Amino acid sequence: MKRYDLIVVGAGPAGLSAAAEAAAHGLGVAVFDENSRPGGQLFKQIHKFFGSKEHKAKIRGYDIGAGLLREAEGLGVKVYLNSPVTGMYLDREIVAETDGAVSHYRADAIVVATGASENMVAFDGWTLPGVMGAGAAQTMMNINRVRPGSRVLMLGSGNVGLVVGYQLLQAGCELAAVVDAAPRVGGYGVHAAKLARCGVPFFLSHTIVKAEGETRVTGVVIGRVDETWNIVPGTQKHFDADTICVAAGLSPSTRLLLMAGCEMYEPVPGGGRLPVCDEFTGKTSVQGIYAAGDVSGIEEASSAMIEGRAAGAAAAAELGYISGGELKARLDKLETALASLREGMFAPKNRGKVFVKTDEGYDISDSLLRNGYLADGEATKYPGVKSVAGIHPVIECTQNIPCNPCQDACPKGCIKVGTNIVSLPAVDEKAGCIGCGMCVASCSGQAVFLVNEDVGGGFATVTAPYEFLPVPQKGERGVALDRSGAPVCEAEIVDVRTSPSFDRTFLLTFRVPGEQCSRARFWRREVRRFGRD
Amino acid sequence: MRLTDHPILGRPDRGRVVTFNFDGGEMSGFEGEPIAAALRAAGVAVHRYTKKHRAPRGVFCAIGRCTDCVMVVDGRPNVRTCVTPLAEGMCVKTQYGAGGGELGSSAAPEAADGRATDEKV
Repeated sequence: MKRYDLIVVGAGPAGLSAAAEAAAHGLGVAVFDENSRPGGQLFKQIHKFFGSKEHKAKIRGYDIGAGLLREAEGLGVKVYLNSPVTGMYLDREIVAETDGAVSHYRADAIVVATGASENMVAFDGWTLPGVMGAGAAQTMMNINRVRPGSRVLMLGSGNVGLVVGYQLLQAGCELAAVVDAAPRVGGYGVHAAKLARCGVPFFLSHTIVKAEGETRVTGVVIGRVDETWNIVPGTQKHFDADTICVAAGLSPSTRLLLMAGCEMYEPVPGGGRLPVCDEFTGKTSVQGIYAAGDVSGIEEASSAMIEGRAAGAAAAAELGYISGGELKARLDKLETALASLREGMFAPKNRGKVFVKTDEGYDISDSLLRNGYLADGEATKYPGVKSVAGIHPVIECTQNIPCNPCQDACPKGCIKVGTNIVSLPAVDEKAGCIGCGMCVASCSGQAVFLVNEDVGGGFATVTAPYEFLPVPQKGERGVALDRSGAPVCEAEIVDVRTSPSFDRTFLLTFRVPGEQCSRARFWRREVRRFGRD
Repeated sequence: MRLTDHPILGRPDRGRVVTFNFDGGEMSGFEGEPIAAALRAAGVAVHRYTKKHRAPRGVFCAIGRCTDCVMVVDGRPNVRTCVTPLAEGMCVKTQYGAGGGELGSSAAPEAADGRATDEKV
């Protein structure tokens, strides 16, 4: 039987981080994964990540995955692919199946980083071909490079639903609607706003009544829900769609931990079990077994990577590769990084809470939570939105989320988030914006615009991030859309910028009548007649 | 249905084109991609019909977890097509029920309700 110092189950963000951390401390490490490629879901994440520099913010998920894999392999970590771990026994022995052959392996410590699987909502017709997890759609388009469908309805307005919804648009699918039974958008407002300004309607307090179709989805009926989650009669709406994506949360894949005899608990009665473990290192009730990433409680990839590091360091200390003092120093550093991610309105500890004001005392936009966009006139209430002569950033970031790349991106110090990374960014109107656009490209939520309210002749320019194909050309005419996706005026593209440092985000500058510069936030190619559509 | 270009991911790096057989007809796909991807690109949505209710099923989780997309591949039933790489000359069949009593038989006779034929692309 082959032996390692540390065996990691799952080659996702948590598992690879644990492996790299432990290997860096000198442990012999093997990682097992059932998939044919490592990285877990990281390689499907094509958006820029949130957080700050230490969390690899503004880097796209697949690049983070590639870096992590290089690091682990460079440190001599052995990665077993196509090798599902099917059993875990006494004294840290696992059974893995590769090419139909079953092999036993043993280690002095095991990190279980098996992640999570998607939850489902069992509406009428939910088993029809065409109904799939949002993650499945993401796999189809971002890995297999095949559109999951032509016209998609997204059920779920959490970050997964919103992010995958946007990726569906990027892949050239139509998004019929985002539907959620909850009364408020569950994910980041900035993610919702990206969809809304493309014209995607939001139906909060709605759910799917049924999927239509005989052998595959041909349509969807949704309806409004009352306080007891029953459909209100007469509120049903039909959508043509060939695909329904369900983003209804994730459930930790805890089977191996159960098999190993780890003590479990139910945080919410009936809501599934989690391992009892150190909330930081993931040390479980069974000696030598750690849980890291989503399997120890659903969060996101950035915190999973830190949890993985902490578990890897703790295992290294347990096996005597580093001293207690070295462990403490390492953990202190990691803990600070993790703590900042676990702050703000969307922090795990704040799940289910309704915020009406930001930490700073600004009102949270009701329109953002119900419709996915800030209503006209609301944006100016926030510290990132100021009316200044000349070009300046307009930052429509209105919730306390852990993110600060805009602050680092500005070479002129125009943008201040401060040391608490969940604070709203504030624009310093005296700092002298040079219009470089680094803030626009750095914002993972695509919430930063450059506005010049007066470029002469009664016109203004708006510069917005753009991540669709085909990329518009300078001189092209189209329409400017407001935050709700409604056309507001004709708009000519006056500049299109790209740069390696923008990392595939194009910066479109379009010219609009001066009075529209506080409304125009997106550009669409086709020209419509106003007042007639 | 195939993405030929993408604003973030660029043009896909595909394997060579291979032909395979789907329910008796010839189809093509890229070597090494999941069978389910080739079928989706060709517009095939139904992968199997359930044993009891003969209800259609297709790709659901796309990561080999749920087993909704299983089909009969090269005579072997219950193959997860979302994680099984496509190879030249593969024989892929819509699965009916458990895919027949033993390895090698493809279709159970009880599923002759004609609906599968409608799904052939």
